[in-house]
Amino acid sequence: MTFNFKATVATGFGLFAAVAPMLAHHSFAAEYDSAKTVTVKGTINKLSWVNPHAYVFVDVKDSSGKVTTWAFESLSPNALSRQGWNRNSLKQGEEVTVEGYMAKDGRPLADGSIHANSRAITRADGRKVFVGSSADDVPSK
Amino acid sequence: MSKHHLTSVLSAIALAATISLLPVASVAQSDAKADAKSGKGKAAQKENAADFQSASTPTPTGPAPKMPDGKPDLSGVWTPGLSFTQLGQVPLQPWAEELYRQRRANLSKDDPEGHCLPAGVPRISPFLQKFVQTPTLLVILDEGNIHSYRQVFLDGRPHLDDPGPLWMGDSIGRWDGDTLVVDTKFLNDKTWLNGQGLPHSDELHVVERFKRPDLGHLEIEITMEDPKAFTKPHTFTRTYLLRPTWEIQEYVCNEFNIDAEHLVGK
Repeated sequence: MTFNFKATVATGFGLFAAVAPMLAHHSFAAEYDSAKTVTVKGTINKLSWVNPHAYVFVDVKDSSGKVTTWAFESLSPNALSRQGWNRNSLKQGEEVTVEGYMAKDGRPLADGSIHANSRAITRADGRKVFVGSSADDVPSK
Repeated sequence: MSKHHLTSVLSAIALAATISLLPVASVAQSDAKADAKSGKGKAAQKENAADFQSASTPTPTGPAPKMPDGKPDLSGVWTPGLSFTQLGQVPLQPWAEELYRQRRANLSKDDPEGHCLPAGVPRISPFLQKFVQTPTLLVILDEGNIHSYRQVFLDGRPHLDDPGPLWMGDSIGRWDGDTLVVDTKFLNDKTWLNGQGLPHSDELHVVERFKRPDLGHLEIEITMEDPKAFTKPHTFTRTYLLRPTWEIQEYVCNEFNIDAEHLVGK
């Protein structure tokens, strides 16, 4: 889906920077640790197009060949669709680098995947695709 | 929202607007390909995407539409923009101030919205609202936090006779010239007035004065009084922007709300 990625490159940063902090239905700070950032490189397992947040699942292989799946919370499908995404915008097997924030409780999701919140996704060709959700949603004061 | 936070957001918008100008050509090109491939739908999608990217998106201009009876027609799909955060300094009684402090200290982990419950009145979220107006009824449809709705009866009926606490309250409206005055009572005390946990009681009484000064803007002056939680009435204003190319969309918050079990606070 070249269209979606190009459109997202054009609009993604604006959306993410300006609007993403306002789009979550929950407090970011209560669930994720903004000081605990993470960057993983892997391949897309799936884009889960569900409410209230879409999830980007990424398979990461270590040096021994063992695969670990990460689940990155994203924006809502509605918010993603308004920036040109659809459920096919990330292709299974596509190489990506995802930057994000770890969940505070350190607990995996029910399927065993590591739980985090995405801030940015970079494609293999170096183009940055911003998704992300709710960082800085709640000012401390 | 703190001044610092507002400044950060506005700076981000300015930066985003600047950066998003750069790859416009590639978008146009890829849209053309997509249109050729899949026909209609992509053009509208592009318009939506462009519309969403920047606060500088022009809001439609022109005169406000009128109903056949000459009253302003408030119908349309509206975005609250950043105005949903604008409450001002609400004068709280000590117990409410303490509760507010606790909720902030807990980083809002117990916000009803995080559990897919309705936002209440006058809290709104960044989600869109659709207004549908007839001469005797105004319906306000919320895309989120769940698909809740408000019916504002314009047919002259009085308030219900104590229907018990309601999530969205009982609303009746009357016209004061070109201003629709909406009176809402019988709200529960479960909803928060903002994302930080500003509390209210079940005696909250809300009066909203809706004006549509032109096609693209909806100005709302909101007065809240709450003898159990506030020390005096509080008035603030919000401005919604018309998004004529958008539609509210399905948003079933409880589909996969795994957040609820991972909201740990500190």
